[in-house]
Amino acid sequence: MYGWIWRHLPGPFAARFLQAALLILVVVALLMFVVFPWVEPLLPIDSGGVTN
Amino acid sequence: MNDPSVPEHEKDSAGSDSTEYDAARAEAAPEPASQAPDDTASQVADGAVPDGNVIHDGSEVADGRAAIGGGDAGDSSPEMVRPEAHTRAERRTVARRSERDPVRATIRGLGQLLITAGLVVLLFVAYELWVTNLFGEAKQAQATSKLDQLWAQESDTVSAPDPSVITQPGGVVVSTAAAPTLAPGERTRQYNTTEGVGFAKIYIPSFGADFMFTIVEGTNQHDLYAGPGHYDKTQYPGEEGNFALAGHRVNKGAPFDDLGLLQSCDAIVIETQSEWYVYRMLPQKDEVATWADTAHAHCAGVSVQTGKYKGVYGQEITTPADIAQVYPVPHVDNTVVPAGAERLITLTTCHPKFSDRQRMIIHGVLTASYPKADGFVPPEMQEVG
Repeated sequence: MYGWIWRHLPGPFAARFLQAALLILVVVALLMFVVFPWVEPLLPIDSGGVTN
Repeated sequence: MNDPSVPEHEKDSAGSDSTEYDAARAEAAPEPASQAPDDTASQVADGAVPDGNVIHDGSEVADGRAAIGGGDAGDSSPEMVRPEAHTRAERRTVARRSERDPVRATIRGLGQLLITAGLVVLLFVAYELWVTNLFGEAKQAQATSKLDQLWAQESDTVSAPDPSVITQPGGVVVSTAAAPTLAPGERTRQYNTTEGVGFAKIYIPSFGADFMFTIVEGTNQHDLYAGPGHYDKTQYPGEEGNFALAGHRVNKGAPFDDLGLLQSCDAIVIETQSEWYVYRMLPQKDEVATWADTAHAHCAGVSVQTGKYKGVYGQEITTPADIAQVYPVPHVDNTVVPAGAERLITLTTCHPKFSDRQRMIIHGVLTASYPKADGFVPPEMQEVG
């Protein structure tokens, strides 16, 4: 998977490295801002209130 | 056999005892005729692996050994007899070939998937413990500045304060906990609340002079992300009944992180647009028996609860479904405020830390209130622990 991505990135090593770093940042941002906030309320971690 | 690419190629199939594997590889990457000896070499490797599974290649091992003219292949591990590919191009060719192999590709993909899943879980832990606090603090700061703006605007537009409230020239009110300037019951609420918007501030001086959170209206997940939230069906600061708040304990700003450290009689100060309300935590369950015989600092107005309030303690651990904790008379399943009800505060948070299993409840009672005035800060705010 990662090898496939690496081989399909164009340019010399430095350019590939930068693109790979950018891809990682995009994925992390997607997780932090979209996926985790969505999944968090579904997990029994922390909720401050009492309800009936 | 001295062709350097040959032993390198042998590395690809070392350890494999599958003939389909070799066939698949041959199909996926047809070899030029010059590399024909590969097969012999790979069989050598198979035979050389000290593994009973590949012993069926034993006859070919002998041939292979003869072919490479050395007797030491059987004594050394396959890695030892394998020289590296000499050029980058060769290594790349080899790598490409092995990636095209479906079995290897699948196993490698699975391994990478598992490692990735592990990293995502670690990232989620970092998110929970650290990133949600950053988000929560930002939302809290926003709620606070919005509230400050609102208060500044309304103090400009609202007509001069009720003359009965400001009793001293210069706007400084001198009052004591025992004799509030105006009984809370005589005050009228001067603010409206909007879901998700701040309307008051909470201070707990024993947690430090900098412990301040803006209280927002409502207790849904968005409200609580911004700060402690007011159960919107419960009463408001200073009113008869129960002013009940919920807050996170371990993440999203964690306003109620230290609630478990609160001691009986510790002050919980609420600032609204026009008033200060000082609540004090009720006696804890294990203090009740000796409460009357023990000297307590700052405990004026705090007593062991009796009558319909019997069993209401400063700190309680309960289930998440125990909604009656925030009702006007805690533990009594009735949302109507009875005549002559006490003026209570209830703080709820999750318990134990990092769990949703139980709730920690803090109950306090109103002991003093002051109208707000420029430069005036309730003396209870000095009780910094």
